[in-house]
Amino acid sequence: MEIEFTDTEFMICNAARLLEDNKTIFVGWGVPQVVAILAEKLYTPNIVQVFEFGAIGPQSRTPFLRGTMGGPSNTYRSLQWCSMNLAFSYAQVGYIDYGMLGAAQIDRYGNINSTMIGDDYSRPKVRFPGSGGGNEVASYCWKTIIVMAHEKRRFVERCDFITSPGHRMDGKTREEVGLPAETGPFRVITSKGMFGFDEETKELKLIGVLKGLTVDDVLDDMGIKPLVADEVVELSPPTPQELKTLREEIDPYGLIISKGAKFKVEL
Amino acid sequence: MEDYIEILQRGEADIHFVHPDEFRKFVRDKKNRGLEDKLMDVKEAVKKYVKNGDYLAYDFSSLTRGPQSLIREIIRQRKKNLWVLAKFTLLETVLLAGAGCVDKIDVGFLGFGPYIARKVQEGAVKVYDYSNGSVTYRLVAGAMGIPFMPARDLLGTDTMKHSGGIVVRDPFSKIPVALFPALNPDVSVIHVQEADIYGNARVYGPTVATLETAMASKRVIISAERIVETIEFREHPNWTTVPYYCVDAVVHAPFGAYPGGTQGYYEMDSDHYLKLTSIKTEEEMQKYLEEYIYSVDSHEEFLEKRVGVKRLRELIQNSQILEGYR
Repeated sequence: MEIEFTDTEFMICNAARLLEDNKTIFVGWGVPQVVAILAEKLYTPNIVQVFEFGAIGPQSRTPFLRGTMGGPSNTYRSLQWCSMNLAFSYAQVGYIDYGMLGAAQIDRYGNINSTMIGDDYSRPKVRFPGSGGGNEVASYCWKTIIVMAHEKRRFVERCDFITSPGHRMDGKTREEVGLPAETGPFRVITSKGMFGFDEETKELKLIGVLKGLTVDDVLDDMGIKPLVADEVVELSPPTPQELKTLREEIDPYGLIISKGAKFKVEL
Repeated sequence: MEDYIEILQRGEADIHFVHPDEFRKFVRDKKNRGLEDKLMDVKEAVKKYVKNGDYLAYDFSSLTRGPQSLIREIIRQRKKNLWVLAKFTLLETVLLAGAGCVDKIDVGFLGFGPYIARKVQEGAVKVYDYSNGSVTYRLVAGAMGIPFMPARDLLGTDTMKHSGGIVVRDPFSKIPVALFPALNPDVSVIHVQEADIYGNARVYGPTVATLETAMASKRVIISAERIVETIEFREHPNWTTVPYYCVDAVVHAPFGAYPGGTQGYYEMDSDHYLKLTSIKTEEEMQKYLEEYIYSVDSHEEFLEKRVGVKRLRELIQNSQILEGYR
């Protein structure tokens, strides 16, 4: 049997399998929230979503709608509605286990850029929306998961602009710059593989590749050379159940999951 | 322990900063503690309280309970040289920049899309980067009457370099900590579900920074879906989001968040929202502004002639979840 899926569907499923039950997760609109909803439906029924604008533990309605972020469908039956100050304070004081973020660029230590491309801040080549709540998520959550399309130009030695912190920023550790201890990027999930960070050096390390791809397929598409784990695991493509849940229940309009290249894998 | 606090890093941004005592004196002399009727027409409110060159803040997002009718009136009155706080925003800053109202933007999140990106790339507006959390902490400090708020955001990043924050060695824990300067906007515009004529205001749903923004600002314009009697607040005092003395003007604005939604009243208009976010060129922007803002005289005329009762009825019909919003 052959299974067909998009880059985004693979990343969402792979991320959803990483989460643990009875934990809190800081999510933003789009892929991160779809990951949390998929995990809640299939793997971790007691995962608690936290939104920056001030919603804790919603039972978000599906299908997932455009522009619903702070609206009734997405914040449905929350345990608490509060302020942004409080939502981030919950994270700063240590209550939020996971954070999930996208990135335009990432470097060897998991620093991410969502602000601008170019070398002149006052005249960027490309301007993005900036941090939003991303910096707080990357600074405060115990384990940050970064989800991004696997493209050569996105992996760089030094981000054009470090929006949110990784494990080392221009040579300094998180604790040296004052960030909360024992936090930082935990996994990077791309459309081709999965990375962790070396325990000693805190460098990006390839730990898994999508079934059907080789380690070299993944490395060839990167602007930097990451470490490679002694044993690189094979990552399963989305299961029929995951795809059915995504396509029929969560995102039947394909607002999120239809993005990216299509992929076929022989099961 | 040394008898000074060691400064480790200084952000480069210009900041809008008001000395806490200056703000206190403004509150003493200019904020009305009398229970007086502040209900007024949107034109009068914006004319009276939004000045060229002001620092402007607003609350929540373009999709939900954003103060869109007030933003459109600011554009209609062609205010100039504003410095805007873009926290959690998609459309407001884009429209204000398109209309030439804005010189500078403090960025938490600068959505949406190619039009505003080009404005920044060309240097037509100057941006200073923060994050949603750090700009909110700036408002919290402004609302508390203190000069700064310590927090652990932006440490180790380029965002810090381009912000107005500084990093010091905390005298208690000895670790580096960021200090974000208090933000006291000249004026803030906030949309709520319910307000009385004195300015007591109630928000249902997540609040983002409604109270902090109102407390921190010199002038506050509230627009409300519904004007209610003061007894509604006295019956449920836990639910008062902003007390009257923070508020300078109350505007009755049904569909005030359109094309966004307001919880318990109407859903967002996705078609109109897409029309806005697909604007790329200057020509498209000016065409939009002419059609939807300049060529109509008021919010009412905008609703009647540019949106229409049929569409508004559909948006009300789409808003069927009431739990938590009444």
